[in-house]
Amino acid sequence: MTLSEAEGKKILHDILGIKKDILKMIFQAQSGHPGGSLSCVTIIYLLYNNVMRINREDPQWTERDIFVLSKGHAAPALYAVLSKIGFIKRKDLFTLRQIGSDLQGHPVKNLKIGIEISTGSLGMGLSIGVGCALAAKLNNEERLIYVLLGDGELNEGSIWEAVMAGSHYKLDNLIAIVDRNGIQNDGSTEEIMALEPLAEKWKAFGWEVIETDGSNLKEILQGFERCKSIVGKPKVMISYLIKGADVSFMQHTQKYHGRAPNEEEFTLALKELEDIENDLKRGIPHNE
Amino acid sequence: MSEQDLRDTFGEFLVKIGHSNNNVVVLDSDLSSSTRTYKFAKEYPDRFFNMGIAEQNMLGTALGFAISGKVPVVSGFSIFTSGRAWEFIRLACHDNLNIKIITTHSGFVGGDGSTHNALEDLSLMCSLPNLKILNPSDNIELIKMLEYIFDAKGPFYIRLPRGSFPKIHNEDYKFLIGKPDVVKEGDDICLVGTGYGTILALDSAPYIEKKLGISIKVVNLSSVKPINISALIKEISNTKGVVALEEHNIYCGFGSILARIISEYFPMPMKFIGIEESFGQSGNREKLLNFYGLNKEKIMEKIKHLLISVRK
Repeated sequence: MTLSEAEGKKILHDILGIKKDILKMIFQAQSGHPGGSLSCVTIIYLLYNNVMRINREDPQWTERDIFVLSKGHAAPALYAVLSKIGFIKRKDLFTLRQIGSDLQGHPVKNLKIGIEISTGSLGMGLSIGVGCALAAKLNNEERLIYVLLGDGELNEGSIWEAVMAGSHYKLDNLIAIVDRNGIQNDGSTEEIMALEPLAEKWKAFGWEVIETDGSNLKEILQGFERCKSIVGKPKVMISYLIKGADVSFMQHTQKYHGRAPNEEEFTLALKELEDIENDLKRGIPHNE
Repeated sequence: MSEQDLRDTFGEFLVKIGHSNNNVVVLDSDLSSSTRTYKFAKEYPDRFFNMGIAEQNMLGTALGFAISGKVPVVSGFSIFTSGRAWEFIRLACHDNLNIKIITTHSGFVGGDGSTHNALEDLSLMCSLPNLKILNPSDNIELIKMLEYIFDAKGPFYIRLPRGSFPKIHNEDYKFLIGKPDVVKEGDDICLVGTGYGTILALDSAPYIEKKLGISIKVVNLSSVKPINISALIKEISNTKGVVALEEHNIYCGFGSILARIISEYFPMPMKFIGIEESFGQSGNREKLLNFYGLNKEKIMEKIKHLLISVRK
């Protein structure tokens, strides 16, 4: 997939705006998971904006691709993207985690706003994806099933049951994405419950593995194109992302895995994102 | 009375429903010969999914089928399916998905023993909102129940024994979810059973009536959740005490649910027949039932105590 400079710039601009919304939502709720929302928002945005077959006018369009946010704690990222594409009203974003809100701390099934199933208890999404993929095959439907997994949740045994089933049933309509930011609640994934060699594990289970640099939009989009083109087996994109990406003091740390910023941190974080936005407008690249 | 293994009735029904409803898919956890889902597998291989010995993924896959418009039937042994995959079942209930969990080997399984007995599955299932839990007393009721759940939407859990129960219903029996089904009239004590509990109650009542000179009513309540409270109270209110009977432990099962309802809406003396503080053991199922107190003598003893508290 080719991405023009202008398109790339627009996407980066959108993602920065979404990141600001994520932080505002979590700051206002004074609870939530900024680290893992900021890491994977690029993936979720690209899926909805560039990769998945959806109808922006109708979240329940019957031919849509299916997205399952297995790492449900990144709900703010999902909500903010769904708002950007028009499924959720922007003002509703700031009801996050409030009583009576559709935007619960972790996603709750609500087809009207594009949420296919509730998630949040970790390790469940890939099995759900297996069921959706089997159903699509049974119905001879073209739709693809995308499941975004946190790397920490790969600790769950149920994930590996689903990995086995995915290749057993040759589910080439199933695409898993691992947010490989390397940090889970209590520390680094390798300290808590080592995952490496992760790509080899998926390969050994019969999956096509595509590794991408999570800061490289083109690489991610090309990765998804490859995922779509490979037949006969399920695909996983292991994307090397950054926990708390683009907010210096939230990056590469578990400190903000499940903690809201205070006012000072929030102000600083917004300023950092705005600085990047301004750089972008002036043509100064943020990432090499 | 002719007996048919409830699992065979289930397996044959699946073939029938598979024919009339193309959306039905069946998932099993490497136990299709025991659960009898192999009958469906043979008839509709494209709609049968052996998920291997992996109950969590089996349930998760069923969730995926359900959100894709299919009607997944999930089968396996009662304790493994309800226990290992509990949180996936919770999610099915959380999202009120159209999923039918129909397990076999509830209660005492026989030779396989304590590790395989399901004396706790009702406890696990009863805490889940939206879930409807059914425990049939014979294969006629089972068929009616199955017809009902495939007409209805939402999550269901049915537990079937490994074996057969005698027929206690006629072919024209109407299954009404939640509604107590009076299988024997009587005035003094009401035995309320579920599953094998009903069979035991019906079998024991004439003996106890004769021994104690009392009249016993027997109510079959195959719907463990929901229960039609007013109908239940109507049936027990003309008696002096209630004994709940179940092939399950007494801690958080059928009897506990009855006790909550009765104590809140129509307090009356109660006793409980079920398995106490045990996971059971290996052995012939009938002998096990007798050994763990699901027998006439034990019911009679409980009724005697009940009558004493009534007289006070």
